[in-house]
Amino acid sequence: MSTDPWIWIGAFLTLMIFSFLFRDNPFYKFAEHLFVGVANGYYIVFYWHQALKPNLYEPLKAGNFLYVVPLLLGILYFTRFIPRVGWLVRLPIGFMIGWGAGISIPANLQAFIFRQIEGTVVTPQSFSKGFEGLWSLIILIGVICTVIYFFFSTEHRGVLKFGARLGIIFIMLGFGASFGYTVMARVSLLIGRIQFLLGPWLGLIK
Amino acid sequence: MNFFKSLTSINRRVIYLVLTILVILPFFLRFHIPQNIMPQTQKLYDFIDALESHQNKAVLISIDYTPQTMPECHPMAISIITHCLKKQIPVIGLSFDPQAPGLAIEALNTVVTKLNSQATSKEDSITYGEDYVYLGWKSGRIAALMEMGEKISNVFPRDYYNNYTDSLPLMQNIKNYRDIAISIIIAAADYPQEWLMYAQARYGLKLGAGLTAVMAPKYYPFLQTGQISGMMSGMKGAAEYENLLVKSGYTSETGKAETGMNSQILIHLWIILLIIIGNIGYMALRRKKS
Repeated sequence: MSTDPWIWIGAFLTLMIFSFLFRDNPFYKFAEHLFVGVANGYYIVFYWHQALKPNLYEPLKAGNFLYVVPLLLGILYFTRFIPRVGWLVRLPIGFMIGWGAGISIPANLQAFIFRQIEGTVVTPQSFSKGFEGLWSLIILIGVICTVIYFFFSTEHRGVLKFGARLGIIFIMLGFGASFGYTVMARVSLLIGRIQFLLGPWLGLIK
Repeated sequence: MNFFKSLTSINRRVIYLVLTILVILPFFLRFHIPQNIMPQTQKLYDFIDALESHQNKAVLISIDYTPQTMPECHPMAISIITHCLKKQIPVIGLSFDPQAPGLAIEALNTVVTKLNSQATSKEDSITYGEDYVYLGWKSGRIAALMEMGEKISNVFPRDYYNNYTDSLPLMQNIKNYRDIAISIIIAAADYPQEWLMYAQARYGLKLGAGLTAVMAPKYYPFLQTGQISGMMSGMKGAAEYENLLVKSGYTSETGKAETGMNSQILIHLWIILLIIIGNIGYMALRRKKS
């Protein structure tokens, strides 16, 4: 069994959180509130030392007054709390939206639209390696049918109805895979905590 | 009727109790359930294994997971760092998640301490600044990702330990993405998406990923297009990589992910059983009602 007090604190806090599985109780509430407080404290200190101090405070202290511009833009966000000058918040928001859209639209198109369309196209080369061609064909059918399912400009009848129905099957398969992975992820977190309790705390496993 | 009704309303405390027992059991019974290696993990392993130290290219590892996702991501980081350092491929670590630096340092130190304890000569031992570097955390990751394509030290003028990045021997040959063989993002949030947009699409940087299982399905399309060269998905991906390292003789034993997978399989069987039981009860009740 561990002699490190921090391990004991971690173990008790873990058990306090797990106690919620039985029912809501003061131990769970204490651990939850403590977590929120510690997380906030961590972020405040972290952002001061790692972001604000090296990127704003120190350059300003060194006489680099160009940094007054981002400082002012940042301060303008707080005008939201003063109704009379609240409109000034539009300046930094506008700046961020303009910069963000300009930088992300071409990158989005390139990474998520063009490359994905390229990957969906079936060519004779797709059939050169065993089952690869069959998978490519299934992907193509899946993409077309899923797009048909989300095509609401006309009533789903005839070919469109068939395509949409097939699209639902592909979507459900996708949801199933996501659910399976989500279960695995959540179980992994539980396994991690149990490993901590049995290992570093109780010393029952290596 | 009552029997079928009870099937659809099992007390959740019973479910949790069985679940806890199934998690704990494999740690003591020490049985092993064999697993297959998924192609995406094999691809990532093969990519790193094909790298040669004389190519003068480093592996960039973006360690961006948080304490709560450690069971999935920490074994991935340890395996990748071990694989690279065993092959004498330089490793450059960095983080964009505020919770990650402490975990990154722990992963690097764990591997380096272990490898140095096995080293028989000075050449075998791992030295900070020569074999690996940790650059630390940076805010404004979109701008940082683009600027690193021009010069890494512009974004990280100093490393985590406050050394000037350009003064480190390893960084003499590593200036920007052209000197990086692959960047592996081990993340618990959507960071790989930005790497795809700003580092892969713009600079053609090769990407690998180690993701939590929740995120994995979203990134499969990028594997198919080749935008991601290989991927580890959740604890299973981490366990597969551990197994590959053992099989190739890089390590003598598997790590925490492989141990956890035995519990994982038992719990999955339990959940499948619950789904079947619930559905039998539901269908029987529906038939009775109709």
